[in-house]
Amino acid sequence: MGAAALRALPWALLLLLGPLLPGQRLQADATRVSEPTWEQPWGEPGGITAAPLATAQEVHPLNKQHHNHSAEGHPKPRKAFPVLGIDYSHVRIPFEISLWILLACLMKMGFHVMSSVSKVVPESCLLIVVGLLVGGLIKAVGEKPPILKSDIFFLFLLPPIILDAGYFLPLRQFTENLGTILIFAVVGTLWNAFFLGGLMYAVCQIGGSGLNHIGLLANLLFGSIISAVDPVAVLAVFEEIHINELLHILVFGESLLNDAVTVVLYHLFEEFANFEQVTIIDMVLGFLSFFVVSLGGVFVGVIYGLIAAFTSRFTSNIRVIEPLFVFLYSYMAYLSAEIFHLSGIMALIASGVVMRPYVEANISHKSHTTIKYFLKMWSSVSETLIFIFLGVSTVAGQHYWNWTFVISTLLFCLIARVLGVLVLTWFINKFRIVKLTPKDQFIIAYGGLRGAIAFSLCYLLDYEHFNMRDMFLTAIITVIFFTVFVQGMTIRPLVDLLAVKKKQETKRSINEEIHTQFLDHLLTGIEDICGHYGHHHWKDKLNRFNKKYVKKCLIAGERSKEPQLIAFYHKMEMKQAIELVESGGLGKIPSTISAVSIQNISPKTLPDSNALSALSKDKEDEIRKILRSNLQKTRQRLRSYNRHTLVADPYEDVWNQMLMKRQKMQQAELQLQNAYLTVPANRIDSPTMSRARIGSDPLAYEPKPDSENLPIITIDPASPQSPESMDLSNEVPKGCGGLPPSPEEDEEGLVMRPKEPSSPGTDDVFTPGTSDSPSSQRMLRCLSDPGPRQEPEEGEPFIPKGQ
Amino acid sequence: MRKSKRSRRRRASPTVRSLACTVASPASTKAKMALLDLFIRTCCILALLSREDFQRIPELAINPLGDRIINAFFSEGEDQVNFRGFMRTLAHFRPIEDNEKSKDQNGPEPLNSRSNKLHFAFRLYDLDKDDKISRDELLQVLRMMVGVNISDEQLGSIADRTIQEADQDGDCAISFAEFVKVLEKVDVEQKMSIRFLH
Repeated sequence: MGAAALRALPWALLLLLGPLLPGQRLQADATRVSEPTWEQPWGEPGGITAAPLATAQEVHPLNKQHHNHSAEGHPKPRKAFPVLGIDYSHVRIPFEISLWILLACLMKMGFHVMSSVSKVVPESCLLIVVGLLVGGLIKAVGEKPPILKSDIFFLFLLPPIILDAGYFLPLRQFTENLGTILIFAVVGTLWNAFFLGGLMYAVCQIGGSGLNHIGLLANLLFGSIISAVDPVAVLAVFEEIHINELLHILVFGESLLNDAVTVVLYHLFEEFANFEQVTIIDMVLGFLSFFVVSLGGVFVGVIYGLIAAFTSRFTSNIRVIEPLFVFLYSYMAYLSAEIFHLSGIMALIASGVVMRPYVEANISHKSHTTIKYFLKMWSSVSETLIFIFLGVSTVAGQHYWNWTFVISTLLFCLIARVLGVLVLTWFINKFRIVKLTPKDQFIIAYGGLRGAIAFSLCYLLDYEHFNMRDMFLTAIITVIFFTVFVQGMTIRPLVDLLAVKKKQETKRSINEEIHTQFLDHLLTGIEDICGHYGHHHWKDKLNRFNKKYVKKCLIAGERSKEPQLIAFYHKMEMKQAIELVESGGLGKIPSTISAVSIQNISPKTLPDSNALSALSKDKEDEIRKILRSNLQKTRQRLRSYNRHTLVADPYEDVWNQMLMKRQKMQQAELQLQNAYLTVPANRIDSPTMSRARIGSDPLAYEPKPDSENLPIITIDPASPQSPESMDLSNEVPKGCGGLPPSPEEDEEGLVMRPKEPSSPGTDDVFTPGTSDSPSSQRMLRCLSDPGPRQEPEEGEPFIPKGQ
Repeated sequence: MRKSKRSRRRRASPTVRSLACTVASPASTKAKMALLDLFIRTCCILALLSREDFQRIPELAINPLGDRIINAFFSEGEDQVNFRGFMRTLAHFRPIEDNEKSKDQNGPEPLNSRSNKLHFAFRLYDLDKDDKISRDELLQVLRMMVGVNISDEQLGSIADRTIQEADQDGDCAISFAEFVKVLEKVDVEQKMSIRFLH
């Protein structure tokens, strides 16, 4: 079965997706593997009768002819060679999948155009409405709209969202609040499930004839399905309201970690429904399986994460496919966990969390950007598709509306959530240093949104054991709609009304980083004095263990010894350098920056409030002379483009030049203490620079992971220097001097050597790739891509320096 | 050797631990004072701690800030700290309780207020006690935290950058007010608190 399944995997993939599409395909039902409905493989000449028109493929006419000849036995009149034909069935499945995804993307685009609507209504609501409309449209046409099949949901739509969440999980806040999150996730979900299940059972008993037959176990199963807070919905809604990080991580973390509980309860009750009698042994086993599921999931994730980290250590020669390793290993972790019915979500999160620090230290910055954007893209598209399909499935599914059941479900869901949060917070606040205020509790309770996971889980139930499945589905959809629409729409005004603390948008400064580390050490010391092994103590121990053993294995080369502070600092400098390049060059440096470099040399000189003073004419000429003479020496060497290397970016070269200039100036300044020198102001508007300004996505170019290089890159921007000292030909960057300009040192990617010499300063027209200093060619390699950096936070805008 | 060190430590740290617990209990200051007086009167020998007692704690030896933390307990020029001094220092790390926030507005600020916590940390940076963190002092701390692999220029540029970011009055040093401002986003109340669960 396994081998056959593997071989049939590509076919199975398409077959699974087949029923997704409307048309005369099979009716959507709860079977896990759908039968193939269309018996025509591709290119089969027997498809002539099915395909109304002649195929466009060259093969077919010939075969057709042959077939006709052999079958018929007498020559038919020859059909003319089809110049143009239609063969839709050939591409039907990919075409329709692409159509759905395109619809999702266009919707997303549309919502941002209609900004007035999207301010009031969260995107998820709009998407569900779109889904309803599309479903209605399909139904009106007469076809059967597809229902969101559970396999597709769990195997393709859910993992990107979870991986995105897990990979970019703010680990510091998560671990600080882990106890709280776990209590909410585990105890809260259990409470919800049993409370709701029990109450629904009571309702069913008194609810009249329609409901009496639903047993306790069925109700408990229903309760467990609907009690889980859904990460997709939470993400979709909370992302837009920019709530403070603590609340965000509490609700979001809860939604992620309650997957284990949901999985256990679901399988438990599903199995129990088949049993005649539930014994104590079964319950004990169920209790044990919770630990197995959750810890097993985490374990699987950690294993894959470590393997991925280890693999990334050796990827320095194949940078182009580095992101793929991250995605594949995480996805495999998810699938492997699913094989054993362990919690796939926890595996995915664990693998993302574990692999991230090491992978980020190993991969190039471009790969890092790729990973980030791909994850965001996939998760965004997935989320959109999920909501659209929720809408479509609502139209498509068979519903069984029972007022009592649905209304009481809704009511008890809300009550259970509120009660649960209140009681648990009271308990948790005894142990928390920063207590959860009632406002926080309200938001946590209100943010308990249900979503597509509940729907898909219910969909998985089979009819034969649970013939009230339709009623369950209806109730679940109602609850989902209510939470997403009502709670989703009102949470934003409520947040504003209650003046809940919002997220702080600014970036973490170097000061914060230093002082936070300082406080970490301080607190660890105090804890050691008290003999109290608290949070800091264990974190410190883990860090030491990490530094001593793990980093050496998993991080390539020199970077394994780099302290976190340095990595953070370099990252900041990089970003600001790019920011400078983008904003138009050195001329706009704020005065405070020059103040710092000034203070090193001449404390007496006061910085000007505006741009540095202009260059005098002869100084300018001198620079140009020097540059020209030195540039003659350099030759352009552009590697030919092939798929395995990335062509260098024109911006990169400009940026390299900027850094070189800055670094040159800094060094010269340190030797001589003199008046200012700036790059002539008109250089800013050179085409290269304006192109750099227009360029949308700044890709940072990291120095080689070499400790000698590091001082150079991080030097403060252009500072005063005298023209005489700008002897570029003789100055060699400190660290780069050691590096021979040999091509093999280079990674693929930023290979562009300086191009043919032009007159760099005279007309201020920089063609891309011009370098104005000879050692910049060496610098270019130093700055070529492979430098990895830890990214302290994701998706934050670069802050302009000194502004 | 290790065994005896450990046993000596065990002798010291239960003392330390129990002292710390007394500090952390929500009893009123007056009660604490009474307790401490009783303590001192009954156990004179253990009433004083010296630097060596602290240095016996092995984790402090590998802590980059170990020496400075120890020095923070001892007041100027003294080599021994009594229970009162010990308690004062540790009291900075008591969690801020909500009921304390409202009462006693007019009285002296409690030791575990946010401002006093930050002041404690500031004093650890500022060795020469001129109420400023100068570039050199910052460099020293950075060097302690970062280790030996990083060159001086690099640390220098980090220090420069740090001061430049924080400095508002242009004196190229970080005063206490600037220090507080920089850390306004950090949750100091949570970070600099220890919950004594014993």
